[in-house]
Amino acid sequence: MNIAELQAYGYFALVVFLVIALYSYIYHLYSTDKKVGGHDYEKFSNMALHDDLGDAPVSPISDDKEK
Amino acid sequence: MENRPLEYDYTVAKMFMFTTVALGIVGMLIGVILAFQLAFPELNLVLGEGLAEYTNYSRLRPLHTDAVIFGFTLSGIWATWYYVGQRVLKVSMAESKFLMFIGKLHFALYLVGVVAVVASLFLGITTSKEYAEFEWPIDIAIVVVWVLFGVSIFGLIGIRREKSLYISVWYYIASFLGIAMLYLFNNMEIPTMLGANAAGESGFGNWWHSVSMYAGTNDALVEWWYGHNAVAFGFTVPIVAMIYYFLPKESGQAIYSYKLSLLSFWGLMFVYLWAGGHHLLYSTVPDWMQTMGSVFSVILILPSWGSAINMLLTMKGEWQQVAASPLIKFMVLGSTFYMFSTLEGPIQAIKSVNAIAHFTDWIVGHVHDGTLGWVGFMIMAALYHMAPRVFKREIYSKSLMVTQFWIQTLGVVLYFTSMWIAGITQGMMWRAHDEFGNLAYSFIDTVTVLHPYYTIRGVGGLLYLVGFLMFAYNIYKTMSARPVEESELQNASPMGA
Amino acid sequence: MFHWLEKHPFFFAVGIFVTIAFAGLVEILPNFAQASRPVIGTTPYSTLELTGRHVYIKNSCNACHSQLVRPFKSETDRYGHYSLSGEYAYDRPFLWGSKRTGPDLMRVGNYRTTDWHENHMKNPASVVPGSIMPAYKWMFTNKADVETAYAEQLTVAQFFSVPYNKEVPMKDGSTKVVKMGASIAEANELALAEAKVIAANMKDQDVKDAVAKGEIPEIVALIAYMNSLK
Repeated sequence: MNIAELQAYGYFALVVFLVIALYSYIYHLYSTDKKVGGHDYEKFSNMALHDDLGDAPVSPISDDKEK
Repeated sequence: MENRPLEYDYTVAKMFMFTTVALGIVGMLIGVILAFQLAFPELNLVLGEGLAEYTNYSRLRPLHTDAVIFGFTLSGIWATWYYVGQRVLKVSMAESKFLMFIGKLHFALYLVGVVAVVASLFLGITTSKEYAEFEWPIDIAIVVVWVLFGVSIFGLIGIRREKSLYISVWYYIASFLGIAMLYLFNNMEIPTMLGANAAGESGFGNWWHSVSMYAGTNDALVEWWYGHNAVAFGFTVPIVAMIYYFLPKESGQAIYSYKLSLLSFWGLMFVYLWAGGHHLLYSTVPDWMQTMGSVFSVILILPSWGSAINMLLTMKGEWQQVAASPLIKFMVLGSTFYMFSTLEGPIQAIKSVNAIAHFTDWIVGHVHDGTLGWVGFMIMAALYHMAPRVFKREIYSKSLMVTQFWIQTLGVVLYFTSMWIAGITQGMMWRAHDEFGNLAYSFIDTVTVLHPYYTIRGVGGLLYLVGFLMFAYNIYKTMSARPVEESELQNASPMGA
Repeated sequence: MFHWLEKHPFFFAVGIFVTIAFAGLVEILPNFAQASRPVIGTTPYSTLELTGRHVYIKNSCNACHSQLVRPFKSETDRYGHYSLSGEYAYDRPFLWGSKRTGPDLMRVGNYRTTDWHENHMKNPASVVPGSIMPAYKWMFTNKADVETAYAEQLTVAQFFSVPYNKEVPMKDGSTKVVKMGASIAEANELALAEAKVIAANMKDQDVKDAVAKGEIPEIVALIAYMNSLK
């Protein structure tokens, strides 16, 4: 197997992997806000709209520690 | 002192705002001079025969590109990072002495780098690679500056209060990583002072001179992998970061679809890097790479338009704001130009179109409708939005902004239309054969025919520069305009008459 | 999994990096294994030619002139045979350019002479009426930097095995040796010997005098480089 063949296999595997990853990401994005305990991605927009130091964070850093 | 509430600290953002404006003026002024030198070659002697070496087109040309890319745009990226970064992570630079120091050091070293670059390019010290003209000592300085930028990004992220990273931060991280990788690989070079002869003597000649690690075709391949993606991670990714913050904030509208913004992000990350081959169509790089460059360029329309449409739809139901606010005008026209140039680029990357377009002014036109219409407009809009918040004053003049908007829009339109015509005219003339199969035109015929278009282009560029000077004046006067209350700064920026 | 990634900046950054690095990994790196071999007849640059190449780069000639003939009839008619990868084997950096404000120079040595270049660089419009190229008069007085070119020759010979002082096959079956000085003094001598040949075909008395005195003006080096482009 020469280097060009390796390149071709690498390229193909990569494209397949990324297509799968991208589609499962789309699925994840749209399914998670329906699930209990899922995340509503759209609320992240508020990070720009409410960005004063005094505003409550959309997902505070302390969330993690409580879990 | 202790009772003073914590505030965002914009010291570093202010510094970079200053260089954005100053280097923008320098870079665009040189650009206008270059444009008129092509139309009127006597201008090569603008400062007389004695200084001709330094006012000559070829000496100034790299200065123009580097001043607008590494001066204006990079400063703009950093000015907005040191502003947006704090806000969406909800943490102030004032909370960390270390990050404050890094930020200031970042700026100081950047200034040193700017001086070194300007001096070396005037002297003709260049590696000749486009957008990577700097010799190795400056390359090392740039790497250090870049690392400081990285420390600042990840430092700020490290002390954030907001767990999730806003989409703009994603884009800033991507810019940092992308440019770091590209710059390092493209600038692999060996200083020639290392070369030793049989007697063991070395250190001959200029100590700053170096020779590329790659030769010929490979060198071209790496250079355009870099050159193309420097556009990606310098002119697209960080500018998208800006608009995802500034457009929602200024209009008070949430992003139309946050999910779409995330998808477009990953799409852009993956696809962009492959498209570099379209700079080398019909050259001596392997055919499959050329084809891949073409194909991926066309696919690139999807993630680019994903972002652009998302921005335009953010204004859904709020289009009256476009009429009412010049700041929104800048951003909406910017994203329109983004759509426009991300469609034009793939068209030029199609092999048969590229056969005509390559090496002509059409490419120059394409670059400028992206940079003037999208990058320039977006950075100016960002600074307009930041100025009232950074200085706690209203923008000096709204009517000046409106005038500037129309002058610059006219400038951009003159620029790209004239370059389209020039490029396609020249491309067609180069390939024209007469009835006997001989070339129909000698090369000089294809140069003299361009004179009117070069003149129009110069005028277009001049209009844009005039608009930019109005912008600089407006920002300058904002520093002493009417002070405003915090409550006026929620969304739409306060503007004076 | 995706959400976890979004909340962990370090792994998130790694994810981005992998995504953007893949293209380079698959597309570019493997190619270095098969770096192009020089075609027969391609020789390394002599000391003076390399000095001239530096003058070319110093003045960003590549901002307006390409060195890449594409495989179209109109281009081969105008400039000669289309470019081959192996012809660039000794080009560090490559000088293909991205804009043809002026004509391609890939094979300019085939159809322009020393005399033509001399007149052209002094006043382009005198040879090509309507030319928008600026004059490069300072090249007639600036001294060329042979020493840096010599350092570069040593470097490429040492690090990239560029065949200086070795027999290189030519198209007609013969071989040619491109000499590189063993010392800086010899390098200067080699360059000067080449410069004398060029200067003999030039008209500018100041340039001739300078070369006679052992100095090499930039223009002489540049013309040597231009003449080598074939």
